Amino acid sequence: MSEQQAEVTTDYEPRIVAFLCKWCSSAGSDLAGVSRIQYPSNATPITVPCSGSVSPMYILSALNKGADGVLVSGCHIGDCHYIEGNFLARRKIHLVKELLGFVGVEPDRFRMSWVSAAEGAKYSQVIKDFVEDLRPLGPQKKLKADRS
Amino acid sequence: MINIQDMRDTARDLLTKNEVRAVIGYRRSSSGMNAEPVVITTPEQADELVWDPTCFHNLSLYLVEDRKFLAHTRNNPGRPIAIVAKGCDARAIVVLMQEHYFKREEVYIIGMSCEGSGVLVERKLAANGIQATNASFDGDDYVFTTAQGEKRLPAREIMADRCLECRIPYPREHNVVLGEDKTGRELAEPFAALKRFEERDAGERWIFWERQFDRCIRCFACRSVCPMCYCEECVVDSISFPVNAQTTAEEKANRVRWIERSAVRSENITYHLTRAMHLAGRCIDCNECERVCPVNIPLRLLNNKMEREAREQFGYEPGASIGAPALVASFLDNDPEKFIR
Ligand code: SF4
Ligand code: SF4
Ligand code: SF4
Repeated sequence: MSEQQAEVTTDYEPRIVAFLCKWCSSAGSDLAGVSRIQYPSNATPITVPCSGSVSPMYILSALNKGADGVLVSGCHIGDCHYIEGNFLARRKIHLVKELLGFVGVEPDRFRMSWVSAAEGAKYSQVIKDFVEDLRPLGPQKKLKADRS
Repeated sequence: MINIQDMRDTARDLLTKNEVRAVIGYRRSSSGMNAEPVVITTPEQADELVWDPTCFHNLSLYLVEDRKFLAHTRNNPGRPIAIVAKGCDARAIVVLMQEHYFKREEVYIIGMSCEGSGVLVERKLAANGIQATNASFDGDDYVFTTAQGEKRLPAREIMADRCLECRIPYPREHNVVLGEDKTGRELAEPFAALKRFEERDAGERWIFWERQFDRCIRCFACRSVCPMCYCEECVVDSISFPVNAQTTAEEKANRVRWIERSAVRSENITYHLTRAMHLAGRCIDCNECERVCPVNIPLRLLNNKMEREAREQFGYEPGASIGAPALVASFLDNDPEKFIR
């Protein structure tokens, strides 16, 4: 708890939507939990069958619905439960990342990582780093739905 | 130089011998300079066909329309449908076949090489102060009929950017082809506008796109004109999901609405980014979307960005081969992954 409080420097808490594959990254985040690893609670995990199943629409929609950052995480290359899902994800996500950067969305708002079921510590580090990188950017307003 | 009569003869011959059920081509429009799309079904109509620098429409859109019509009427016509296709149009047809939208034997491609030319842009023509009633090719020049008599302009001055940059101004996939293959004749460096745009920093890029997307009125002309936007239900029309007597209130309430239909910036940008993603590796740069946009949104920049990324990072060329897998349904072991943590 004390560690988390120390991190709060402003009122702003970045909100992260994390798409985690069921077989590796989601299990990795579970491991972080059961190992009692402390890390910021900014990420809302959404379990998906495979990183390859993450449609660009999910990412854009998360930003549209107000996420400050989006993470897609899957099994390491070679470890995909569906053999090649993460290869497909790698290509698709590269394009999404390029496109977001192209229209001027800060590159740090979107991230991809490989986290295995055994890497609870890595998962917590990915989230910690992401939160730290997002903090200086402030709230994401570019793609957020304009309901005014 | 292509002799228009050859194209007419080809079409007439196909219809006379009953080898095709129709020919999709261009004819003179009833007013003004521009050609317009036409579908002819009798040999006599072949003389209506024209071929000039205003044949900018990507006619493969009508192959899609035809396929949809046949599917709805459960009709099996047996004979193929013929289409007049430029290099870019033929690449669009290849993409459609790659995606099994129709089979190779269901289309008869009358390929037209652009040779040293391409299609013109009306805006560039207007900037040259020319009001023409007719346009034609003449080797290197475009020749216009105006109220003040005949006027000539070097083609490259009013040609579409995509034609200037075109790497393959020739329909490789064809049943018959008219004109020579002048591949490698690039008149301008490919992706020139994109390169210039990318010199701006992220902040400036956002300001640019913010202004563009603020203007979009969501008329969906860009989607309607695109041969690759053939989905029966588009993800941005969340209200088009079928509702019938069996649809429960629960289902209606839980329907995912990815994007609102209101033409506000945030929804517009989500629409355009989604569209750019859905066209990655499929858009063949016919630039019809940008041409028909009533508010001049520079859609080609977005499409070019995806095209260049696919080309440089994944060695992928859209519309190159019928047997090739789709860009996002394939991968290479050494696809870039430096961005992944
Ligand atoms: S893009 Fe190429 S093939 Fe298409 S009209 Fe222009 S020159 Fe011809
Ligand atoms: S970009 Fe242009 S053509 Fe497309 S929906 Fe917007 S206004 Fe219409
Ligand atoms: S996105 Fe535009 S340029 Fe690309 S295929 Fe569709 S209409 Fe043509």
